[in-house]
Amino acid sequence: MARDELVQSAIDNWAPRFIANGIDYNDFQRVTASIERWDDWCQAWSECGALHAQMGEQAEAQGLYVSAAQHYFQASMCYHFGKFLFVHNPQALRVAHEHTVNTYKKALPYFEVPGEHVEIPYEHGARMYGILRKPWHTPRPPVVLLVPGLDSVKEEMHLYGNDFLRRGMAVLALDGPGQGEMEFEHAMRYDYEVPVRYAIDYLESRADVDAKRVGLMGVSLGGYYAPRAAAFEPRLKAAIANCGGYNFLGHFDRLPGHTRAAFIHRLKAADEADARKKLAAFNLEGVMERIQCPLLIIMGRRDRLVPPSDAERMAAEAPRVAELWMFEDGNHVCNNIPYKHRPQQADWMRAKLMA
Amino acid sequence: MARDEQVQAAIDNWAPRFIANGIDYNDFQRVTTSVECWDDWCRAWSECGALHAQMGEQAEARGKYVSAAQHYFQASICYHFGKYLFVHRPQELRVAHEYTVQYYQRALPYFDPPGERVAIPYENGTTMYGILRKPWHTAKPPVVILIPGLDSVKEELHLYGEDFLRRGMAVLAIDGPGQGEMEFTFPLRHDYEVPVRYAIDYLEGRADVDARRVGLMGVSFGGQFATRAAVFEKRVRAAIENCGPYNQSTNFKNRPLISRRTMVHRLYAKDEDEAVEKLRQFNLQGVVEQITCPLLVIQGERDRLVPAVQGARIAAEAGRMAELWLFEDGNHVCNNIPYKHRPQQADWMYEKLVG
Repeated sequence: MARDELVQSAIDNWAPRFIANGIDYNDFQRVTASIERWDDWCQAWSECGALHAQMGEQAEAQGLYVSAAQHYFQASMCYHFGKFLFVHNPQALRVAHEHTVNTYKKALPYFEVPGEHVEIPYEHGARMYGILRKPWHTPRPPVVLLVPGLDSVKEEMHLYGNDFLRRGMAVLALDGPGQGEMEFEHAMRYDYEVPVRYAIDYLESRADVDAKRVGLMGVSLGGYYAPRAAAFEPRLKAAIANCGGYNFLGHFDRLPGHTRAAFIHRLKAADEADARKKLAAFNLEGVMERIQCPLLIIMGRRDRLVPPSDAERMAAEAPRVAELWMFEDGNHVCNNIPYKHRPQQADWMRAKLMA
Repeated sequence: MARDEQVQAAIDNWAPRFIANGIDYNDFQRVTTSVECWDDWCRAWSECGALHAQMGEQAEARGKYVSAAQHYFQASICYHFGKYLFVHRPQELRVAHEYTVQYYQRALPYFDPPGERVAIPYENGTTMYGILRKPWHTAKPPVVILIPGLDSVKEELHLYGEDFLRRGMAVLAIDGPGQGEMEFTFPLRHDYEVPVRYAIDYLEGRADVDARRVGLMGVSFGGQFATRAAVFEKRVRAAIENCGPYNQSTNFKNRPLISRRTMVHRLYAKDEDEAVEKLRQFNLQGVVEQITCPLLVIQGERDRLVPAVQGARIAAEAGRMAELWLFEDGNHVCNNIPYKHRPQQADWMYEKLVG
C-alpha cells in the first residue's frame, strides 16, 4: 500500500527538523517507513517513545542518571513528534503530549546542565510553563527566551538551548498560548508580547538570572512572535526570528493540509474561514518600524511554508535594527543546514547580551 | 547514470555509522546523492569538509571558539569518511587524512572538555599518536583507551568518548598500526597488545590520569584488538568489544569489494590471497579463553560484515569473564541502535573502573 499524502507531506517537510531537534536518525527511518496511514502516525511515534522511556526508567532505577537523561529526552521528542500535527485526534494528541512533558521533566535534573520546570503567572490567574536552564558557574547570567511555533513546544527547543548554554547564557523555553501545555486552554494569540511580558516579569522575580539582559529566539510562527514581542516589550535587548511569516493570512491557503488543520485547531477556530479571520491580526504591518533592539532575521530561500520575501520585507521595514541572513539552500527554519546558523546565532546573541 | 556498486555498498553498509559518529544528516543526504561513481567519493566529502573548515576558520578568527570547535570537528569527520575506504587512490586518501587530523587538532583546545594530541613512544624509536581528553574537575581519572577498526581512526571515536567523559572517565583514542596516522608506515598487526602496552606505559608516565584503572573499547576490527589486548596486557581492567571478528580470515570473501581492498591495503598485502594468508593470525582461537578481566561483547544479529556467531563465540570462550549483549536489530557495530548500547556500555565501564 502506498503512503497517504499526509504522511508523505510530514516526512518531506520535516525530516531534517526531526533529526536536528533530537530524533535518532535510525528511529526516523524505521518509524516513518512503518507508517502508511496518517492515522497511525501518533501511535507509531508513541511506541518508539515508550521504548526510550523504558530504557530511561531502567537506567534511572539503577542510578545511571547520565543515561537516563538521554533516554528520557529521546522519549520526549518521539512523543512530541507523534503529536505535533495530530490535531484530528485530540485525545491521542493529548496523551502523547503529556508523555512529552512528563518524560522531559524526568530528564531535567539529569541533564549535564540541569533544568527546572517553572510556573509563570499569566493573566487572569492562569499559568504558563517554561523550562529554565542556567550555565554552570555563571552568576546572574543573561537569559534567552526560546519561543516555539505552530507545532513545536518548549521541549523541542532543547538542542537550540544547548548552543546558548555552552556560551554562557541561560535559556527559558516557553509554551505560550496555543503551544504545548497552554494549547488546550488558550488559543494562539498574535500579541505575543503579552506572554513575553509575563515571562520577563517572572525572570525579574528571580535572583539567579539577570532580567536586564534578556534576548528572544523564535522559530517558524515563533519567528513572527519574536519581532512582535521585540516591538512591544522594551525589556527585550535582542531578538532572533527564524523563518517567521510577515503576514500569515497571505499564505494560509498554500500551506499543507495538516498545517492548516493545526492552525484551525490552535487558533480555536471553527473552520478555515474563521481561521482566516483570526489570522488577519497575525501581521507585522506597522509593527517592524517600532523595534528598537537588534533583530536577526534568518530565512531559507527554499522555505516551502513561509515565503522568503516575508523575511526580506521584515528586514526592509526595520532597517536600523535588522540583520538578514538569507540562506539560498535553507528550507523552513533552515533545519537542513543547522550548522550554518545555530552556532552562529548563539554567537550573535552572546555579542548582543554579553559584549 | 546509476550509482556504481561501490558507492551503493558504502551507503548501504555505513549510513547509520556516519550519522552516529558526527556527519550531519543533511550533509549525508546531499553528498551521497551527488556521488555516482566511487572515484568521486573522496572529493565530494572533502568539499563538504572544506565548507565546514572554512566556517571553523571564520569562527576562530572572530574568537567564537565554541562554534569553531563544532565546525572543525564536522570538517574532520567529513574528510575522514571521504578517505576511510579510498585506498585505490592513496595520494588522495593521504591528503584527506591529513585534513582529518589537522582540523580535529584545531578543534581540540575548544572542545568541552578540551583534549590534547599526544605522542606515545612506540617500538624502535617510532611514535604512535593519540587524543587524550579528561573529564573536568576529576583528579586522576581512570582512562578508557578507544581503539578504531579497519577503516576508522581515533578522530572518529570522538562521540564515543563523550559518553565516557560525561561519566567521569578520561579517554585516549589511538591510531595503532595500520590505522590513521600509523597506516602509512605500519601494517595492521594481530598482536594489538603491543600498541596497547605502549599506550599504558605512556599513561603511567603522566601524573594527571590513573594508569591503574585502564579500560579498552574497540569497534569492529578494533573489537578483536581490544579482546586480544585484554588477554595479554594484564594492566587492562575491563574491555568492551563491539562486533569484532573471532576469525577475520573466514569473513574476508564475504565482504564488499571496497572493504576487501582496504584490508589488502592496510595489511600491506600484495593481493587478496596474501591478505587472507596474513589474516589467519587475526584469530582469537586459544586466546580469548585466557582472559582474566571483565569483557563486554556487543554484537548485532544483522551484522553483514562480521557474522553474529563470532561475537557469541568470543563470549562463550571467555566464559565467566564475559557478558554478551546480542541485539537482534543491530547492524555492524550496532550503529543503527546507538542508544541501545552507547550510554549503556559507558555505564558498564564506569562500574568496572570506578564503581
